[in-house]
Amino acid sequence: MVTNQLDRQLQQIKDKGRIGLMTHVVIGYPTLKETVIIVKTMAESGVDFIELQIPFSDPLADGPTIMKACEESLRSGTKVKDAFSIMRKLTREVSIPLLFMAYYNTVFKYGVGKFCRDAASAGASGLIVPDMPIEEENNEHFYANCQKYNLHAIHVVSPASTDERLKINARHATGFVYAAARQGITGAKGELEKTLSSYITKINNIFMIPIAVGFGISKKEHIQALKGKANIAVIGSAVIDVIDSSDSKDRERKVRQFLKKLKS
Amino acid sequence: MKSHFGQYGGRYVPEMLIPVLEELEKVYFKAKKDKKFQKEFEYYLKTFSGRPTPLTYAKNLTEKLGGAKIYLKNEGLNLTGAHKITHCIGQALIAKRLCKTRLIAETGAGQHGVATATVAAKFGFSCTVYMGEVDIERQRPNVFLMKQLGATVIPVSFGSKTLKDAVNAALKDYIENVDSSHYVLGSVLGPHPYPTMNRDFQSIVGREIKKQLKEYQENKPDFVIACVGGGSNAMGAFTPFLTNKQVALIGVEAGGRGKGIGENAIRFSGEGSIGVVEGYKSYFLQDNDGQLQPTHSIAAGLDYPGIGPELSFLRDQKRIDFVSSTDNEALRAVKVLANSEGIIPALESAHALAYAIKLAPTLSKEKVIVVNVSGRGDKDLFILAKAFKDKNFYEFLKKEVGNGY
Repeated sequence: MVTNQLDRQLQQIKDKGRIGLMTHVVIGYPTLKETVIIVKTMAESGVDFIELQIPFSDPLADGPTIMKACEESLRSGTKVKDAFSIMRKLTREVSIPLLFMAYYNTVFKYGVGKFCRDAASAGASGLIVPDMPIEEENNEHFYANCQKYNLHAIHVVSPASTDERLKINARHATGFVYAAARQGITGAKGELEKTLSSYITKINNIFMIPIAVGFGISKKEHIQALKGKANIAVIGSAVIDVIDSSDSKDRERKVRQFLKKLKS
Repeated sequence: MKSHFGQYGGRYVPEMLIPVLEELEKVYFKAKKDKKFQKEFEYYLKTFSGRPTPLTYAKNLTEKLGGAKIYLKNEGLNLTGAHKITHCIGQALIAKRLCKTRLIAETGAGQHGVATATVAAKFGFSCTVYMGEVDIERQRPNVFLMKQLGATVIPVSFGSKTLKDAVNAALKDYIENVDSSHYVLGSVLGPHPYPTMNRDFQSIVGREIKKQLKEYQENKPDFVIACVGGGSNAMGAFTPFLTNKQVALIGVEAGGRGKGIGENAIRFSGEGSIGVVEGYKSYFLQDNDGQLQPTHSIAAGLDYPGIGPELSFLRDQKRIDFVSSTDNEALRAVKVLANSEGIIPALESAHALAYAIKLAPTLSKEKVIVVNVSGRGDKDLFILAKAFKDKNFYEFLKKEVGNGY
């Protein structure tokens, strides 16, 4: 695979010997306009990667925060074509790599080849599609299409993954591997699992690519605890919680403040 | 074990669920070939659920319609009032082999929830049932029953607040609690191995039909008719007949109030298309962006936008024909069956009966129709009383409320 912006960002993080930060937004939540402002604010605040989630009616892996954001975005009429236009607009305006996070039905219904082609041409660096396991590739050709269009297909693994399953995923994963910090759905939690450190070591031994750790990562102490172990910390629901608890006037400021505190 | 039916089925789930589903598949596959397991399963079907359920010749209805002979497979006589208990017993025995201590279930009409709560009580599991708020509104008696059986019923307040959202909520709980819990998925859908496992458990229905028809000196049915929500009762009745092409198999979907989005739950019409949702590939009522669409049926158990993957496959193969019955046709069928045969069917099953009532007069008297009456109608008391405008019933309710706590 030819290197894309995501590889360059990973290299830069490695060179500086720091931990990267990936955040998450739901496209069209609270509005399409605000998604643009929030993503730009994140990029300006030193975030390294941003997942742009395409809202779906039945988001299997998501907890209440993201589920509610998807529901509201859909209610206000967000379409898949809006996701592509927002990606196109943002990749022109921010310099960090952006990824799509989507459920497989969105990709399938759009047409797998067409989806990958349009995502790449809109400037996306990778796709995170949690419900498209490698076992279904023979029928779907999803990973093949990602490769064809130079998109990283980010694999998500979990603490329940057996060594065998980690190895299967390691054979196909590119970019970075997304390791869920706990067995569960997305959402902010107070404490990290005690076994997290040995779990990350195990993944490090099996995967040859950088590791992003997400699910339940919500504050500075969590990121500190991941330093030196993982390459990227993923803050998903916690930022959306900030967006939820602020009104449109001071949302930008609140997000900036939250990220500043994380990175301090 | 086969995980797909043609292009349908599969296991489209997050990595989080794959290890536990692989384990489930392994343990189920072993149990399927284990005579001891089969014996244990049959023991509980017989001594706990009350199998075999009768195949009743509907003499009055047959004579009234003047065409084909109609037989009713009365699954409503199972413990808890529907066919659902069968796959619940099967899965509870599997959960024991998996050393799980807790059962999770989703429910639409409440039948599968009650059946899961029942086996949880019987086999010593704790039990959590997810049920959409809309379904709780229309099936309150079943919520009461689940609680009496010791289950915790959690209302689902997101999405369309019906069956599909209850499935999502149950899957999320399963993801969070894979070590302690088994998810008793209640139909022939979801990720592999559920469609296969539930079909296998339910196929006892079709095997009994075969045997019982012989006792009536009938060689074979010409038609087997079943309602199709997710498809568990239909696959149960159809499976043993799949290889006999002389037996026509008819699935009846919910025609609801008529045409249009949100008015029915007909997956096999212009509005349904292939998608991948809730872990499996099949037909779904969805828009061009793949967002699931609202559905409607007077029968909560049919009010679901997806359909079991094997049914999609068999429809492509032209092995199963699909038709639909409307809310009103189902209501009329309840009355007809109650008056002519002394059986009050569940509103779900009444959809199948409504089609049989249309079909029978068009056939000659030698033809044999078997209708799978998947459940009994007790649970629909409130819906029926409202639909039939029973003033006295409402007077009674008012009085009861007046007597209050």
